[in-house]
Parts: sequence; structure tokens; C-alpha cells
Amino acid sequence: MSDAAATSAAHAAETPKPHELVRGIVTQLRVVHAVALRETRTRFGANQLGYVWALLEPLFWIGTFAGLFYLVGRTPPGGMAIVPFLATGVVAYDLVIKTSDRGSQAINANKALLFYPQVQTLDLILARGALEMATFVTVFSLIVGGWAFTVPRFRIDDLLTVMGGMGLAGLLGMALGLVFCALNVLTPTVDRIRGPLIRPLFWISGLFFTAESLPATIREMALYNPILHCTEMVRSGFFPSYSGHYADPGYVGLWIVSLLFIGLTLERKVRPKVQLT
Amino acid sequence: MIELQSVTKAYQTRVGDHVVLDRIDATFPERVSIGILGKNGAGKSTLLRILGGAEQPDAGKIVRAGRVSWPIGFSGGFNGSLTGEENSRFIARIYGADLDEIVDFAQRFAEIGEYFRMPVRTYSSGMRARLAFGLSMALDFDTYLVDEVTAVGDKSFQAKCHAAFSDRRERSSVIIVSHQMNTIRKYCSRAAVLNKGRLSFFDDLDEAQEAYEAVA
Repeated sequence: MSDAAATSAAHAAETPKPHELVRGIVTQLRVVHAVALRETRTRFGANQLGYVWALLEPLFWIGTFAGLFYLVGRTPPGGMAIVPFLATGVVAYDLVIKTSDRGSQAINANKALLFYPQVQTLDLILARGALEMATFVTVFSLIVGGWAFTVPRFRIDDLLTVMGGMGLAGLLGMALGLVFCALNVLTPTVDRIRGPLIRPLFWISGLFFTAESLPATIREMALYNPILHCTEMVRSGFFPSYSGHYADPGYVGLWIVSLLFIGLTLERKVRPKVQLT
Repeated sequence: MIELQSVTKAYQTRVGDHVVLDRIDATFPERVSIGILGKNGAGKSTLLRILGGAEQPDAGKIVRAGRVSWPIGFSGGFNGSLTGEENSRFIARIYGADLDEIVDFAQRFAEIGEYFRMPVRTYSSGMRARLAFGLSMALDFDTYLVDEVTAVGDKSFQAKCHAAFSDRRERSSVIIVSHQMNTIRKYCSRAAVLNKGRLSFFDDLDEAQEAYEAVA
């Protein structure tokens, strides 16, 4: 089709006035809120144990790896307690992966909603991302809170850094999800290669090691992975004994901005290709 | 009011691009009910989705004044695992309307009884359409986009829809797509025929019928 006609039409459109921008933002917040509430029902409401599963899955990983650590006689580096050591790693990692996973399916699962013109792909991804963040923050608090009862003294070193790490993990997952979601519209093959592409990250994102405990050459390579920076941040904020000075929030931010740039451009490009019926 | 300026839409198929809407220029004025006739597959539903803004054209521009509804009909818009009530609340939320008011109105208008509190996936297609109509009536749009209204519900429900639209004739316009002239005659004062990507308007319904029968 004539792209020129579309472009000239876009140019002819007036620049939005400030109050229109405010109205647009209000509408978008309303939509994200409504979709998030709806997603809560569909994500957890499918079976009776919906909420419980969200908690059981990370608990299962923590239990498995705590058992493995015990069997091979390993302890977490720097005298960190095993439960929060694994919880910080598993939850931060899961937050990135689950959010990207949910985001990548945002269109497929919610095509019916795009029927309403005020609902756009970005709203679906924002809503799903917000829901995942809320879920994982709750799960993390429950696990760490439960564990805190078993120790004589409990203190989080720097809550703000923990939250910062979680926030970056959530945003990274959202940005990644947006890219996958847009690519999914182009070709469903993307969905098939996503699994094998993502899976190795489980072993290299610091779930059961820290950047400081790695040999220098390997560490240099491992630090290219932005998820490792997220787990490092969460751990350094959580444990007074862990400095985590390899964690670089700016580096994660760069990934997020780049992925958002790619994802938003792609989404714009594939928007007319989404088949509604 | 909705204005289309050389709106073009094509779908990619295995045998190349299939042009559904070909540089369509049209104006749908306020408070005028217009019927759009077309064969199955002529692109009626696509046109309706583009009018509503759910789908973007490949080229061209759409200017809307006033609140335009989503395309009301059998398909789309509801989440099967949520109840009719939950779906109603969702729609009230995204349109920024009063939740209780909308839910209450939709429930009374749709007349689907206890199904209102059951998952939409358990609904018959007629019940889905009833709910969709109830909701759209609750929301007070300036332009209603309606997809194949004829088959919705029994006689009494059809009478109810007709009465509701008649009530609104002073404030709202209706754009109905259908492949049946009877429907258009019941609701509309003007009609257009969509054929081979082009949309031709007729002031007179008989002329429209003639033109439609010539292509159908």
C-alpha cells in the first residue's frame, strides 16, 4: 500500500494539546487498571489453588536447590543464609522470565480486548507486568517473612536496593516480553525458539552463585547478562555481608531502554497485522 | 460523525494481497442511521472495526467526532472464563463509566437471568449478543456500530433493541452492516453497498436494494 499516504496523513494530524495528553494518560491508566484486575482473575482464578501455585513454584525451586546444596556439601558464598540466598536469586530471575513470558502472550491471550479501541498492546503488557511484579513482591515477602521467624535476628540491609533490583527485573521482563509479543505477530516460530533461547539463562543468572564468587575471566562474560545484575542488586540490598559491587543498574537500564525501543518500534510496525477475529 | 479519507485495507493471503477496502472516501453524518450491505466476505466487519478504531487501515485517515461504540455483535470483546457481570465491569471501567449503573442496566436489558453470573463461555451466541447489546445501550454512544443485528435473540428482544435505537435516534446514529435488506430497512434511512473494495451510497433504500441485488 502507499506508505506515503499514511505518512502524510500522520503529519497532517495536529500535535496533541496538553489537556488531550492528560486525558490520554488518564484513559490509559484506567485501561491498564481494568486489564490488570481482569488478568488477576484469569491468571489465578483458573483453579482453586491459583494463588497457592504462585507461591509453591518458587518454593519448590528453593527446596530443590537447598537439598542439592546440602547433598554436595556446598554453602552459599560469604556466609549468606541458604533460604534467602536462593529466594533472592529465584524470585529476581523468575520475575524477569515470567514477566517476559506473560508479556509475549499478551496479544494471543487477549485478542478479544483489542476489540475496544482504547485498549492497545502496550496496555496489555503493562497490566501483565504490573501483576507479575505485585505477585513476585508478595511471594518474596512471604518466603523471606516465613524464614525470618526461624532466625533470632532478622534485618534487611537496604530495602531500597532490593526494591530497585526487583523493579529493574520487572521492567526488563516487560521490555523483553514486548519484543517477543511483537515478533510473535510476525511469525509464531518465535514462540518455539523462545524456550531454548531463554532456558540457559537459568544457569548463568546467579541463582546459585554470586558474581564475586566467580573466577575473573568467567565473571567478565557472565556480567554481560543483565539478569545477573538484577539478582546481584537484590542480594546486595538484602545481605549486610554482601557488597555486590559488580551490580550495575545503569547497564540493566540500558538493556531496558534498548529493548523498549526495539519493542515499541516493532509493535507499531506489526499493529495492522494483528488479526482480530 | 465519522469521516473516512481514502481508507485502504488489504490482507495478505497465500495468493497475494487481497484488497478489502480500496481508497474509500465517505462521511457518516450525525443522527443518521446508515445500513451497509455486502455479501459474506465483502469486508463489512473489517470496515466496522476500522470505523470503531479497533483496527488500523493500511493507508488513509479516519476522523471521528463523539463517542463511537465497539462493533456490537456475536464475536469478540468478552473473556470466556469471566462471568457476564465481570465482563460488564471491565467494559464500564475502560469507558470510565459508573460500574453499578452499567452492570445493573446491562443485566436488566440482556435478560439472561442467572447466566449473568456464569462464565461467558457457557453462553449461547444469542446470549452473548444480548449482553453486548445491553452493555452498549448502557454506555450511551454517539455512534453505534452494529454487526448483523438480525439474528439476535427472539422477536421480543428484537423489538426491544429496535425500541432502544428508536429512542436514541435524536442523539445517536447507527451504522449497521448486514447481508439482508430487511434488517437495513427496519433500522436505517440510508444505505450503502460494499462491493469489491468500493462503497457506494444511496439516499433511497430501493435503489440500494437494486444495486445490492445486482452484485449479490
